[in-house]
Amino acid sequence: MTLLEQVGQAAIVQVEDVGALTMQFWAVLRKLPRVLPIVGSGRRWHSTVQQMFAIGASALPMAGAMSLCTGFILALQSASELRRFGALELVVDLVAVGFTRELGPLITALSVSGRSASAIAAEIGTMVVTEEIDALRVMGLDPVEFTLAPKYLAALITVPCLTILSTLCGIFAGYVFLAFSMEMSLHIYFRAVAEAILLRDVAFTLAKSLVFATIIVHVGCLEGLRVRGGPEAVGHSTTAAVVKSTFLIILADLLATAIFYLMGWSSAG
Amino acid sequence: MTNSSAAKADNAVISIRGVSMSYGARRVLDEVDLDVCRGEILVLLGGSGSGKTTLLKHLLGLAKPETGSITINGVDITRCSPSELGAVRRRIGVAFQGGALFNSMSVEDNVALPLRELTRLADSTIKLVVWMNLIALGLSDAGSLYPPELSGGMRKRAAVARAMALDPEILILDEPSAGLDPIVSAGLDELILFLNRSFGITILVVTHELESAFHIADRVAMLYRGRLIAVDRKEQFAGNAHPRIRQFLDREPDAIPRVAADEFLAAFMRGVQT
Repeated sequence: MTLLEQVGQAAIVQVEDVGALTMQFWAVLRKLPRVLPIVGSGRRWHSTVQQMFAIGASALPMAGAMSLCTGFILALQSASELRRFGALELVVDLVAVGFTRELGPLITALSVSGRSASAIAAEIGTMVVTEEIDALRVMGLDPVEFTLAPKYLAALITVPCLTILSTLCGIFAGYVFLAFSMEMSLHIYFRAVAEAILLRDVAFTLAKSLVFATIIVHVGCLEGLRVRGGPEAVGHSTTAAVVKSTFLIILADLLATAIFYLMGWSSAG
Repeated sequence: MTNSSAAKADNAVISIRGVSMSYGARRVLDEVDLDVCRGEILVLLGGSGSGKTTLLKHLLGLAKPETGSITINGVDITRCSPSELGAVRRRIGVAFQGGALFNSMSVEDNVALPLRELTRLADSTIKLVVWMNLIALGLSDAGSLYPPELSGGMRKRAAVARAMALDPEILILDEPSAGLDPIVSAGLDELILFLNRSFGITILVVTHELESAFHIADRVAMLYRGRLIAVDRKEQFAGNAHPRIRQFLDREPDAIPRVAADEFLAAFMRGVQT
């Protein structure tokens, strides 16, 4: 094969990748209403609730703990610098703004990605290997509606909730630090926090967490569906799912942050 | 023979015409023609890599052939709309090789799934149908178990129970006796005969197990390297003189190129010295 052919082949593979991602996303979007309670099928909503436990509720301890630690680290690190300028109070702003805009959604997304992207890829990959996906199709049930859509909806609901909770954990860790070092009261601390963050920041964070949630399930499902061959292929797909979703989350975060600053949303005025 | 084959063509529930398929340069199916007649048990034999699984995937509309047509109950599933395909699939029950039971559901729920999703039957009716199926397949004690808790034979029977749930006209079984001990496998053969004789279901069995094939089959078809090399009533098939069929029936291994002893020794010594 000539070099040109190899380049072309690689390009085709990449374009096919993007195409598959988009097609699957569209297919799921169309099926999403079927999963909703009341308007959709009750049974899908039931499996969505199960998925909400698997993706969201069980990730809470880990996401919360990671945010607590990171909040404390952030406060410690910044305090040692800010103390030199006599501006220790600014730790509040730093922790509050840092967590609301950036660390809350990112830490949540990374912890969910590590847990759930692999779990989703493994579950769906196993269903491919054991012909369960084929069985669904042959029975006339759409695997997109039956297995994928509940996971999407569950992630879209739980990841923003988790983000709010882990942001609160991070901000609370900042309080714990300041309570010890400056004997700041809870009341004053949270008033300062409320002054530091804007509603716009919160909206931005929630929008970001929706994007992250989509990346996690989307990559997990696609890697699972791609499994060909035996059980060892499932292992590869879980690794690929975590690696790809983690990378895409950071990339999406970079893009979102760049847009946020370019649009001038960061200024308080 | 010509009379009966003309009658068969009229009577065909599934008719495959000129189906070909390749993966890259490898031809997996080569101009396959096959009819499955109403009410018969047709066994599709073939070794590993003969294209059995690929043909099955095409029959179920999970893959599209490059050329040729597959007509089931008068509908060409290679060219019909998704809703027509859905209607055709409703009349077919499939038991996959590993059972393909959903691990997160009990056996009872697995069997109830197609009824719940695709019919408007009341819950009490569904429960009744499920239990009738489970009892008919000897699984009355296993309803509340989960697939990982089942033995191999039970899993296959549960898969058949699920395939039977919507009262299909055609039942397709992929390797029903693979990995089962002879007693369980014989039980499954009896079950297949029972379903065919008492409900008149057309059954297509894909397998490489000769004994069970000849026990249950009305007709036997054999695939070799993507080609259908014989389709015949089992009595005639047993007498077929095609070298591949003889090899398959007589269980003879493929010739492996042998190395002469002194040549082997010389090569071995060279390996040791370097």
